[in-house]
Amino acid sequence: MKQTGTTRRGFLGTTAALGALALAPAWSTAAFAQAGSTLRLRIDGDNNVLDPGFMTGGTEIEAQKQCLPFLAQYARDGETFTWEPTYFVTRLEQRDATHIDFELTEGLTWSNGYGPVMASDVKYSYERMKDSDWSGYFDALERVDVTGDRTGTIVLSRPFAPFIMITLCHGPGAVLSEKAMADAGGKFTTSFPAVCGPYTYEATPGQRAVFSANPDWTGPQPAFDRVECNVITEVKAAELAFEAGELDCTEVGADTLARYTKDMPEGTGIAVAGELQYMWMGMNTEHPKLQDIRVRQAIQHAVDVDTILQGAYSGTTAKSHGIICPGLTGQRDSAGYSYDPARARELLAEAGVSGLEVTLRTLNNQERMLSAQIIQANLAAVGITVNVLPLDSGPFWEMGQESKGDTWKDLELWIMRFGTTPDPYEATQWFTSDQVGVWNWERWTDPEFDRLYEEGINETDMQKRHDIYVRMQEIMENTGAYVWINHEPEAFVHSTSVGVNAAPSGELNYRRFTQG
Amino acid sequence: MLYYLAKRLGLSAVVVCLVVLVLFSLLYLIPGDPATIALGPRATEEAIARYAEKMHLDEPVWRQFLIYIGNALTGDLGLDVFSDRPVTAIIMERIGFTLALVFAGMGWAMLIGIPLGCLAAVKPNSWLDRVTGVLSVGTIAVPSFLVSIWALLIFAVHLRWLPAIGAGEPGDFSDQLSHLVLPAFAIGLSWVGYLARMVRASMLEVMGENYIRSARAFGLHPRRVIFGYALRVAILPTITLIGMGFGGMISSTVFAEIIFARPGIGKLIFDAVMARNFPIVQGAVLVATGLYILVVLFSDILIAWFDPRVRESL
Repeated sequence: MKQTGTTRRGFLGTTAALGALALAPAWSTAAFAQAGSTLRLRIDGDNNVLDPGFMTGGTEIEAQKQCLPFLAQYARDGETFTWEPTYFVTRLEQRDATHIDFELTEGLTWSNGYGPVMASDVKYSYERMKDSDWSGYFDALERVDVTGDRTGTIVLSRPFAPFIMITLCHGPGAVLSEKAMADAGGKFTTSFPAVCGPYTYEATPGQRAVFSANPDWTGPQPAFDRVECNVITEVKAAELAFEAGELDCTEVGADTLARYTKDMPEGTGIAVAGELQYMWMGMNTEHPKLQDIRVRQAIQHAVDVDTILQGAYSGTTAKSHGIICPGLTGQRDSAGYSYDPARARELLAEAGVSGLEVTLRTLNNQERMLSAQIIQANLAAVGITVNVLPLDSGPFWEMGQESKGDTWKDLELWIMRFGTTPDPYEATQWFTSDQVGVWNWERWTDPEFDRLYEEGINETDMQKRHDIYVRMQEIMENTGAYVWINHEPEAFVHSTSVGVNAAPSGELNYRRFTQG
Repeated sequence: MLYYLAKRLGLSAVVVCLVVLVLFSLLYLIPGDPATIALGPRATEEAIARYAEKMHLDEPVWRQFLIYIGNALTGDLGLDVFSDRPVTAIIMERIGFTLALVFAGMGWAMLIGIPLGCLAAVKPNSWLDRVTGVLSVGTIAVPSFLVSIWALLIFAVHLRWLPAIGAGEPGDFSDQLSHLVLPAFAIGLSWVGYLARMVRASMLEVMGENYIRSARAFGLHPRRVIFGYALRVAILPTITLIGMGFGGMISSTVFAEIIFARPGIGKLIFDAVMARNFPIVQGAVLVATGLYILVVLFSDILIAWFDPRVRESL
C-alpha cells in the first residue's frame, strides 16, 4: 500500500517555509537608519493637552516649543543656567523690576490663515494664564500693555526676579493666536489651533507624534526636516530601542547611565540637561521622638550619603548640599555636617536617648527603597532602629498634609524628592511658615527664612541673591531636620551624529538639535 | 441548543456585572483622595474641583454607581481625565492592535502546536515525540515577558533583523506585519507547547479507540484517519484551551506591548494605571473582560455544536 500522508520531512519543510514566509516582509523593511533628515526620539506618553494653560507638562512643553512662539529661551553661562531672547523677538529687556519690554520679530505669521503674530496675542496668552492651572507662574503678572502691533510691555504687580527664567522660558510662556483661540472656543487639547514655528504637529494616539516642516515658517530652519517621537512608556524599552538603532536620542536611567559612562559604545554620547531634582531625608521636628535637636543632628551625622549615591544610584547623581540644584544661583559647595557615627553616638548620649525606634516612609521604587535600606543600616550602627515603610504615591503625597488626614502627626522620617525650575526661588517656596502642614512637613518656622524668601524674589543682583539662598539653606540645615542626599540628572544617550538640546528640567527642544 | 445558549449568555452577563462592580469599587479601594491621586500632589484646587465634577465624585456613591452603569450600558465609558476624549474612542483606537497581536500569537501557535502534537501522537516515543515533549515543557516554563526581552535583544538589538518598537507605519501592511513578528512570537511561544501537549494527549487517547482501529482496518489513508476522524474528536479539549488561551493572551499582551512599545489595550491599561487615569483603567479592563467572556462563550458554543453531550451538562 502506497502512503502519501504527512511525513516528518515534509512537515518540517512546510514549517520552515511558513516561517520564512512570515519573516519575508520583515526583512524587506528591516533597514532602520532612515534616509533624509529625520530625528527619532521618544516621548513617554501621549500629549493629552497641548494648551499651555491646562497641560500636564513634560513632552507637552516639548511640543509647544516646536510649534508656538516663546519670548525667551534657556541658555548656559558657563556652569550656570541663564536666559536669552528667542528668534521671535528682536528686543526683550527688563526695563526695571516690574517692566519687561518686548518687540516681536517682523514677518511672523500664524498658520491656518490667522495672520501675523501680534503683541495683542502676547497680551491674550499671558493674561489668560492667570485663570489657568498654571496660574502660579503668573501670580506676579499684572497685565501686558500693547504699545504697537509688535511691541508691548509685560507689567508685574511686584518685583519678581525669576519671571523670565521660570515663566517666559518655560512651557507657560508660550504665545497663542488670539483669533485662533476664539475660533477654538478658548481652549484646546490635542491639536494646535494655529502654529508659528519651524514644525507642524500631528499625533497618532498611543503610537507617535510627528513634527513636520512648517511650510509657512520663514525663520531659521531646524537641522531636521521631520521629528518622529515614538510613544515608549518605559525607559528600559526606550534604551533597547536606542540600542537597536531605532532612536537617535533617549533619556536613560541611573543604571544605564552608569553602564554607558563606564563603557561608552562607539558612536554614542551622553548629554546631561540639568540636575533639577533635590532629594533629602526629612524629620518631623514636632514629633516627640525627634523634638530634641540633638537627636536630629545625630541622625544627620549617622547617614552615609556617599554610600547611598553609590549603592542606590551607581554613582550617577550629584551629592546634595541643600535644596538649590547644580547650575543655579545659591548652590552650596558643602553641607554644614559630615558623616560621623561617633559624633552621632555622642549627640544621642547627650540627649539621653537610647533604644530609639523610628519609622522611615518612602515611595516604593527601587532607588528609594535601596536608599532607605542603607539609611536603616547606618542608623542601626548608632543604635537607632528604623522600620522602613514603603508607600504608593497616593498615600505618600498626602501623609504630611493636614488637609488630608492625621498621618502628619505620626510622621517621623521620610525620603522626599522635589523637582524645580531653573531658579532658586521655587525650591525655597515650600518651606516658608505658611507651608507648615502643606509641603513643609518638617514643621519648623523661622522669621528670617520668611523674610529672606521675599528678598530673594525681589532681588535682581546675582551675588546678593546667591548669598540669600545660601543663608536660607543654612537655616534649614540648622533645624537638624534635613539630611541632603542627591540631585538626579536628566541624562540622555544619543548618537554622536546628533547634537542634543534640552532645557535644564529635561524637556528636549527639537528645533535646536544639531546634525553631525 | 437555544436553551444552552441562553444559559451561557446569562452566566456571562452575571460575570460582566461582577466585573463592573469590582471596577467601580477600585476608585474607592485605593488609599488616598481619587482626585489628588489622579492629578498629582501639586494639582490646583480648581483642577481638583473640575475632576470631581467630571467624575461625579460629589454625588453619593450609590448614585455614582448607577450613573456609571447607565453610561456603560449605552457605550459611554466616561472621559479621559487628561485629554477629555471619550474613553470608548480611545479604546477603539487601540483594540485592533491587541486583537491583531492575539490572533497572530495564537495563530502561529496553532499552526505549529497542533501538527506537532499530532505527529508526536502518531509516532509515540519516537525522537520527534521526545523533542516535542522537551520543547513543549521548555516553552511553557518560560514567561512571555522573558521571551519578549530575549527576542528583542537577539533579533532587534543584536542582529537587527526585525524592528524593536511600535506597530509600523499606518497603511503600510508589510511594515505593520514586520512589527508584529517579534511580539506575536513572544506571546505565542508558550502556547505552542500547551497545544502540542494537549493535542498529543487527546490524540493518543483517541487513537486507541475502536472506531479508529476500524477505520484503519478498512484501509483508509492514514492522513484521513488522523485528520478526518482522530483529530476531529481530539481537538475538542483543545478548543476550550484555545478559548482560555485567548483570554490569557490578552493579559500577556500587556508585557509584549510595553516591551515593544506597541499600542494596544494592555499598554493602555498599564499607562492608565501609572497615571492613575481611572476612567481609562475601568473602561479598558471592562472591554478586555468582555472580550475574554466573548471568546470563552464562543469556544463553549463551538464545543456544544461539535459535541451534543455538552449541551445537556449545563
